[in-house]
Amino acid sequence: MGIVTAMPELSGATSADPSDYLQQVMAEIDAEVARRRASGDLPAGLERELDELFLEFSPVGAQGQTRLRESLSLVDGSAYVDIAVPVESNKRAGRLVKRTVRSLTRFYVDFVVHQIVRFAWAVSRLAHQLVDRLEELESEVAALRPPPVPAAAVPVADDGGAWWAPTAVEALGPATGRVLHAECGAGSLVAAMLAAGIDAYGVDPSEPAVETAAAAGLDVRAEGAADHLDVVPTEGLAGIVMPASLQWCDPTERARLVALAASRLAVGGILVLHSSTPAGWVRRAPTLLADLAPGRPLHAETWAHLLAEHGLAVTSTRTGGGSAGLDRMDGALPGAASVNAAIDLVEQALLGPDEYLVVATRER
Amino acid sequence: MTAVHQFVPALLPRDATGDHTRALRDAFVAAGWESRIFAEAAHDEICDEAIHYTDYPSYAGPDDVLLYQVGTASPVSEFLLSRREPLVLDYHNITPGHFYAGWEDETAARVGRAREQLAALAPRAVLGIADSAYNAAELAELGCRRTEVVPIVVDVDGWAEDPDPAALAELAASRAASGPVWLFVGRLSPNKAQHVLVEALWLARRWFDPDTRLHLVGPAVTGAYAQALDGFVDELGLAGAVRRGEHLSPAELAAWFRAADVFVCVSEHEGFCIPLVEAMRFDLPIVALAAGAVPETAGDAAVLLGSSRPATVATAAHRVATDDRLRGVLAAAGRRRLASFDPARSRQRFLEVLGALAGAPVAS
Repeated sequence: MGIVTAMPELSGATSADPSDYLQQVMAEIDAEVARRRASGDLPAGLERELDELFLEFSPVGAQGQTRLRESLSLVDGSAYVDIAVPVESNKRAGRLVKRTVRSLTRFYVDFVVHQIVRFAWAVSRLAHQLVDRLEELESEVAALRPPPVPAAAVPVADDGGAWWAPTAVEALGPATGRVLHAECGAGSLVAAMLAAGIDAYGVDPSEPAVETAAAAGLDVRAEGAADHLDVVPTEGLAGIVMPASLQWCDPTERARLVALAASRLAVGGILVLHSSTPAGWVRRAPTLLADLAPGRPLHAETWAHLLAEHGLAVTSTRTGGGSAGLDRMDGALPGAASVNAAIDLVEQALLGPDEYLVVATRER
Repeated sequence: MTAVHQFVPALLPRDATGDHTRALRDAFVAAGWESRIFAEAAHDEICDEAIHYTDYPSYAGPDDVLLYQVGTASPVSEFLLSRREPLVLDYHNITPGHFYAGWEDETAARVGRAREQLAALAPRAVLGIADSAYNAAELAELGCRRTEVVPIVVDVDGWAEDPDPAALAELAASRAASGPVWLFVGRLSPNKAQHVLVEALWLARRWFDPDTRLHLVGPAVTGAYAQALDGFVDELGLAGAVRRGEHLSPAELAAWFRAADVFVCVSEHEGFCIPLVEAMRFDLPIVALAAGAVPETAGDAAVLLGSSRPATVATAAHRVATDDRLRGVLAAAGRRRLASFDPARSRQRFLEVLGALAGAPVAS
């Protein structure tokens, strides 16, 4: 057999217990898959694309206008019922008998077929109307959909030095298993967590960022958050730092990510979520991102509500980030103290904090 | 006289349920009991072994025990509901309808109806016999008061016949020119997930060996699924790498087992999975998704996967197909596991549990 790529050999295990040996084999198979994933042999989403490709061949997966119209043609074609029953026969008598039966039953067949055809055409007409309406709706929805966000407009995360990083690391300290930083960028927060003794790793869709992280010896893979969480075992993580894109992604995608993360978190696991405040987003988001992002950041209270639906209880919320927008007077100038105090009040009332950090624990 | 009569929707030759029913009838008769098979339909080859179920009243005796081989939806179920004799269910599992939804609504409705009938029969039965703990749990959940796990009476030794020489020679020649050969035996059906095997094959040919082949043996249950599978295979350029076998004689099937390197099963729902036992009989190492009763049937004679992700399946199948030490361990475990399915032991257990119900002494 022409083996193209040999897998790493068994690590010389000589365990006498077959079940131990099989467990070791399974671990090696998992490691091999993880290696292929990390090396780019298994691009993120490839398996899903294969599934989708298969579904295109299935009746349930018929997608797109072409398929819909093809199906409609089938309905139209089947709506006609031929009442001219064939009377051909190898035997002369047989032909005669069939003909006679056809003649004798014609009035009855006509009556039944007439009703069937009327029903079939009514169904076909309804199907046509539905497809027409669906196409109209789809074109309306497409017009409302913002154009995709250019990849260059999405900032690559470098969260290790952010104001909330020490709080996140402290919150994740008690985690007793693997902790994932989704969209970890070059891995600065992963490094900070590792330094604090947390078994952390990361994923990020940006390959250059992942290469930087990998060069620093960090366990970081080139994958999107959802693609990665999809393949993580249920309740397999002790902690998750949610991706920054969660705050501005499409609401449907946001709901999917939260549900995925909640299911992958073990009971007692810790979830950390950093977001802009709605006001801070308006003030500070990069222009292209602010204009084209399909979603908008939520308030911290809304997150508490959404997370509770997945069995996660918020244990702390901390605001911060974003420096004040107004300049202060030089303290040496007369009256500076009272003017600066007034500026503080104005800032707090009008501007408020730009960001917040939510820490939640999975209770059930 | 002790009388245990069996009811079955259809009595078929070379069919697991048919063979099991006939083997039990022979065992009951050999024990000196009266035993007949009542069916809704029987294959021409063995129609003299079955009596139409509606004729049962003319054979009924006062101490009869009725044993129903639960299969598909059948008026036999309704007939048995109307009877007063002690009823025993012998349950080999019914695939849940949702697997067929969207593929073949008629099949989905039929299995749904079969499950409804089972739900009506289960609380009425004095005993539920299941060939796996997984099936027994389903019976208990449906309200069966008492359950027993007794492996299906499969004539393992009957499979020991020599492979068909012509088929074996042809398959062996083809194998010599190819890479590893994966085999799966089972109906082409959405719950058996043959499309995942195709996805895994596509990956394995890219990663490990471009000459890897997949042999799929089994009839198509839903035309739509088989058609989708064929289209998918063509789309992935695997037409020359996937081979299908249908309507094989036992000797031909033996040749297909002999000409394979690994048995791969990613079926999502199995109540027992006889092909696993067949693979063990032919010393063929197994890779299987740990779903349904598969872990119970396979024991430690398989590399059991926690996920049917194509990457995992491809890696595991290739590993098992090419790692001699692992193949040896699995084949040896398979031979040990086969002892659990000793038909003599199953027959004896059936005699014990049914004999106790029918008040018959049973010699061991």
